[in-house]
Amino acid sequence: MTPTASVAAAGTSPWICPFCPLACDDLEVQVGAPDLALALNRGSCPRASESLSRISRAPGFVNDGAHNDGLRCDIATAIAAATRVLAASRQPLFAGLGTDVAGARALYPLACALGAVCDCAGGDAFMQGVRALQDRGQFTTTLAEVRTRADLIVFIGGLPGSVAPLTPQRCGITESRAAQRHVVLLGPNPGDAVQLSECAAPGVSCESIALCGDLFDSVALLAALVAQQSVRDAPETLRTLAARLRAARYAVLIGTPPSLPPQGSLIIETVHAIVNQLNRDTRAAALWVGGGNGAATANQVFTWLSGLPLRSRAGPRGLEHEPLVYGAQSLLDDNAVDALLWVSSFDAGAASSAVAKTELPMVVLGPPALGAACRRPGAVFIPVATPGVGSAGHVFRTDGTVLMPLRALYEDRWPTVASVAQRILKALGAERRL
Amino acid sequence: MSSMLLRGGRIVDPANPAAPQLRDLALHDGRVVEPIVGQRYDEEIDASGCVILAGGIDLHTHIGGGKVNLARMLMVEDHRSGADPIPLSVNPIELASCGSCAPGTLATGYRYVEMGYTAAFEPAMLSSNARHAHMEMGDVPVLDHGAYVMLGNDELFLQLLSEGGRLGRNFAQLRDYTAWTIASSKAMGVKVVNPGGISAFKFNQRKLDVDEPHVHWQVTPRQVLQTLACALHELGVAHPLHIHGSNLGVAGNIASTLDTIDALEGLSAHLTHVQFHAYGAEGPNKFSSAALQLAEAVNANPQISIDVGQIMFGQTVTASGDTMRQHANSGLANPRKWVGADIEGIAGCGVVPFRYREQSYVNALQWAIGLEIFLLVRNPWQVVLTTDHPNGAPFTSYPHLIRLLMDRSFRNEQLARLHPEVAANCALRSITRELTLEEIAVMTRAAPARLLGLRDRGQLGVGAAADIAVYREASDREAMFATPEYVFKDGRLVARAGKMVAVPVGGTHFVEPDFDRGIEKLLRRHWQAHGSIHFDHVAIGKDELCSCCNGGRLLPAACFPHAA
Repeated sequence: MTPTASVAAAGTSPWICPFCPLACDDLEVQVGAPDLALALNRGSCPRASESLSRISRAPGFVNDGAHNDGLRCDIATAIAAATRVLAASRQPLFAGLGTDVAGARALYPLACALGAVCDCAGGDAFMQGVRALQDRGQFTTTLAEVRTRADLIVFIGGLPGSVAPLTPQRCGITESRAAQRHVVLLGPNPGDAVQLSECAAPGVSCESIALCGDLFDSVALLAALVAQQSVRDAPETLRTLAARLRAARYAVLIGTPPSLPPQGSLIIETVHAIVNQLNRDTRAAALWVGGGNGAATANQVFTWLSGLPLRSRAGPRGLEHEPLVYGAQSLLDDNAVDALLWVSSFDAGAASSAVAKTELPMVVLGPPALGAACRRPGAVFIPVATPGVGSAGHVFRTDGTVLMPLRALYEDRWPTVASVAQRILKALGAERRL
Repeated sequence: MSSMLLRGGRIVDPANPAAPQLRDLALHDGRVVEPIVGQRYDEEIDASGCVILAGGIDLHTHIGGGKVNLARMLMVEDHRSGADPIPLSVNPIELASCGSCAPGTLATGYRYVEMGYTAAFEPAMLSSNARHAHMEMGDVPVLDHGAYVMLGNDELFLQLLSEGGRLGRNFAQLRDYTAWTIASSKAMGVKVVNPGGISAFKFNQRKLDVDEPHVHWQVTPRQVLQTLACALHELGVAHPLHIHGSNLGVAGNIASTLDTIDALEGLSAHLTHVQFHAYGAEGPNKFSSAALQLAEAVNANPQISIDVGQIMFGQTVTASGDTMRQHANSGLANPRKWVGADIEGIAGCGVVPFRYREQSYVNALQWAIGLEIFLLVRNPWQVVLTTDHPNGAPFTSYPHLIRLLMDRSFRNEQLARLHPEVAANCALRSITRELTLEEIAVMTRAAPARLLGLRDRGQLGVGAAADIAVYREASDREAMFATPEYVFKDGRLVARAGKMVAVPVGGTHFVEPDFDRGIEKLLRRHWQAHGSIHFDHVAIGKDELCSCCNGGRLLPAACFPHAA
């Protein structure tokens, strides 16, 4: 039996967590009666615990189920209403895209049929990495490489925090390994240094280095020092860090795009420049922590199907990719689209601002808890199963190489994003043939 | 299901040489059947004036998986036309998908089928990326597909090899681990890329010759090659070890390539994209053709097969697992950007954009070397036609390549346009051989099917799968092979005169070698200590494979184990 094919039995179940881009698979969940909240039974992750606590399985609570124009309806009625909303649109926006591979596979033909612009939740941050890749490329590594071989780890801008709470653990910082390891927090967030020193294993030394100017200034200065350019007035801490990077056998620079400031792609590019410089003589790589809530998954799937990453559309002139123009929030702010399909099957909170603010005709696919936020005239809400909780599925891990299989903790009453998208596409075809 | 008769065509089917060429071809329920006089068929097609071949099979083309998707993301230029977007297809059956050297999976399927191909194999699947690779291949419409999983650079393999010493005392362990890797990733075979070299690069080694020890594990590429080739032989995997040799692209690398053949000690193997491994270091530019030496070695070793990896001039992107060599070549990137990665203690990847130029001495010679190899190897059953898509050129250049091989005057016209030193001095000028239609059919269908152990593909005998391409005979072989009149997949018409008419989901070929499950104890310990996912989540089961592959048919191929 494969993980994806099975539904876990009630009780304690090994679990692959879908709620952050690390997709940890060494946690366990206590699955009790439907009216009991799901809870971690083994392992500890604040993000997983919080996300699990939001899952409501018990039927009958007030906002349960699909609705259209603020009125409760069955799924079939909601799908028909969603089809009408989307068919009437001259330029729809598909946003959020919080789904698994199957959901993204099913959304793509629907997006093609409608000429929809597609962008993920947190698209501004996500595209920083995509644009840096398009412009200059990258040299990256993966969790197992960091865990087993990195003798120097530098967190650019501090720990990933709530984006991926168990990053230090997944990077082997909490394990006593033969290799001596040094961990640097460059520009840490408040509390990072304490958190790191509390979890670091014996033999792992930790250090915090304050920024010199802002994060970009500091990384640019570090790049110059690593390249052994003459830099006046560089702080000794950065000089020492540059020397450590040059001396390391395998240095890994870890950054968190969702935490970077606007124009963060410049920081990402500069980190890659440091890595490329180091790789002339020794070995180094970058690791980017982000792309959670299905963003990286949707981007991978849309890219392989079409050739183009997110922020693209099959428009009247052809396949258009506009990494700046096709940002979901700016399209909504500028009234450049006339309907919204929001997909958010992992995190109800990820939808809050876009969904709550817009007055456009709107279709929302999300966990039942999201229903209340979009109960209004002109809005259709269709509850969907969360992959890895109420359905099986696959999501990409942050390092891009591992596609994690998710399995259901229980049999959900709600359909998957994939099945809803397929039904809307079918209904759309029927409507257009009339 | 339906029946069909293709009447009056010329059937070129080198796998069944005794059958007459001029005969009718009958199909029933997706299979070739004996035509029966007087039988009524659901459909009859007049194929007079046409050549009928089995569907094309590309046994080495980078169509899906992590590095292919990185190539798509990197090559944003490939997905627009200057400042303009790429227009959508006017064919409503096609979903929007674009790209030439880094096409989307949908475009990949459409363009292959339009040329008469019905199967394609991804040669470099990382075991850690296997689910992703199967997902992408499942989204390549129509084509059957499969993949070779990469081994020989994973730290566990090298560690075990190191522990076993020169005598290979733990060979059974390595063989079982090889089998487990194939089975758990649902692979069709095993590829080794720069044996040991990807790992060595992680330990900051920049070069690795066939008999040079890995700086950390102290094992040599020769040991890696021998062990893997022997393991696959004993396991009875039909496709022999698929080898991307040492020192790719390095002047003088013919020595490594000949050492590689020597290391195999008579075991079967497939040397891939050999054009990139057939370079001498002679002449004023210290870069010369070693096609003749390579061809002599292949001619003398009938157990060796090759695919060429022909280059074509223009923009492409190279996508390879060979991090060591891609890093070395990254300075030549055009446009100037590249992607590299160290991956999971298993492998790596490097994606470097490249523009092959006619006026570059090196590029012109690479072009000539590829063609020389095609024309100097005597037995076409040892040669498969590839461009190592997209590394030498996009697969869409196959019709042009076929014309170069079949038409000497056309070939010489092209040669005259190249860098003058190459045009004047290369051996290609004096090679008069023109490949026949039969030889092209071998290199594009029959040989790859045989090398992969696909008994019912690549041929049109009774019982064969009805994967068929019907080309209208024309003296311009490029035009002829670019646009077949009809393409059938399992008996179903999928393209008509270069236009897709149906997009069924293709099937997945894989092998299931037997092995001692006791190896899993060791693997579980290794994953616990060195992995990043739980051992129980590594293997892909058949149900999961089905969902990865978009519900396409599962096509397990038999293994025929040999005694140790």
